[in-house]
Amino acid sequence: MQKVVSISLNGNSYQLEEPGYEELRVYLERAEARLADSPDRAEVMADLEQAIGEKCRALLGPHKSVVSAAEVSGIIREMGPVESPDGKPADAGFAPGAAPGASTTPGLHPRKRLFKIREGQMWTGVCNGIAAYINVDVTWVRIAVALLTLFSGGGVFLVYLVLAFIVPYADTAEDRAAAFGMPFNTEELIKSAKKNFEEFGDKYRWRREWRRQQRHWNRQFKHMNEQLRVATANAAPAMSQTARAIGSVFVPIAALVGAIVFVVWILALLSLVTQHTIFGWALPHNIPLWVGILLLFMAYSVVAAPLRAIRHGGQNAAGYHPGWNVLHSLMWIGFTALLFWVAYTFFPGVRELVDQLMWAANLTVSTISETIV
Amino acid sequence: MDLTEKLVPLRKGLLEFVILKIVAGDKVYVADMLKLLGPTEFATQEGTLYPLLSKLRREELVDYEWQESEAGPPRKYYKLTAKGRTQLAALNDYWKNLNRTLADFGN
Repeated sequence: MQKVVSISLNGNSYQLEEPGYEELRVYLERAEARLADSPDRAEVMADLEQAIGEKCRALLGPHKSVVSAAEVSGIIREMGPVESPDGKPADAGFAPGAAPGASTTPGLHPRKRLFKIREGQMWTGVCNGIAAYINVDVTWVRIAVALLTLFSGGGVFLVYLVLAFIVPYADTAEDRAAAFGMPFNTEELIKSAKKNFEEFGDKYRWRREWRRQQRHWNRQFKHMNEQLRVATANAAPAMSQTARAIGSVFVPIAALVGAIVFVVWILALLSLVTQHTIFGWALPHNIPLWVGILLLFMAYSVVAAPLRAIRHGGQNAAGYHPGWNVLHSLMWIGFTALLFWVAYTFFPGVRELVDQLMWAANLTVSTISETIV
Repeated sequence: MDLTEKLVPLRKGLLEFVILKIVAGDKVYVADMLKLLGPTEFATQEGTLYPLLSKLRREELVDYEWQESEAGPPRKYYKLTAKGRTQLAALNDYWKNLNRTLADFGN
């Protein structure tokens, strides 16, 4: 069974199988781009649409109302790449000596881009997408990410998380083609890096992607909770003893991990604000401080959101009780205070940082009071 | 560089001339032009032909009129304009001169 898309070509409607629709859309988009400088663009586009429509009609009959994806490919091959006679030369206008239709059309291959791929994803599909991008088995990518995470002290994991929410999912046939794409070369890599950087500037995209990712996670964890609850309910009431045990193990762990993440984040933020470095790592020159701070906030929410979701999952497995939340909050405050104390006492860098901050705060306070007085 | 590759720009340049020649006869529809060109060295595709025809029309060398077709929407039939006819004559002369020059050089 194939999904069918209804389209209008120069005022007439046709039904195409979905992959065929995607291919046609790409073809027409490319044609339009190639004709961008031509004053005849609108006219040529209408001509092309009509010609394609006519070819579709020739394929249809009383017992056939849908143009198959293969037929669309055939039509596009027949049409050939669009060439602007007064614009830039096309990549394969005249097939040398060959019959029309036999020519390959390199212009039709979408540019290779990094996508997240759902098919066979383990968590977010990032590794899967990278594997498709560099054309190696996904297992190697996963092993590499895991090892690098260990050796980089978590840095690579942060990069992974950032990728998980800025890289889009390959949801259309075109995206999937671009995800696997042509063999990649440096030029492609630079181009896609540029493009990603341009998209990076689009702040709404960030938010949109992030919201989508959060919804995705929430769905996953909700699903997990549901399963756990059902399992708990089935095993009740003998479970309640075990449930308490799960909770009493789970909540402290969640509180400790949450506190560690929070303390590390606060220290990173302090160090960024006071010394313009994150634990000795300086921001690249072209990134202003406020972007660095913003990124840090984002990184925190990226790390904290799944943690929170896991915690809720664990608490609910232990049977929902508001007491768990209170317990968690108290433990979290305790752990945070403890960690700050440990960091201040045992890490000279941290002490320097805090002292510097206190000094700056004192200075500000005295300046303000002097101004007032 | 092999021979066919060398001849591509030559054929490309001549395509406009060939189109003017085809359109000089009766009014023609693009699909029929493609059919005419198909078996020749000038075999081409819609992707090339439509932009070229639009350019020729902008230069006022060809024009088109709409004609009803038995199946589907009306079609554009192309024909040569007076200006196009003058240019075609000039191109024909040029081509003859070119042939003569080539012949004069011998083998």
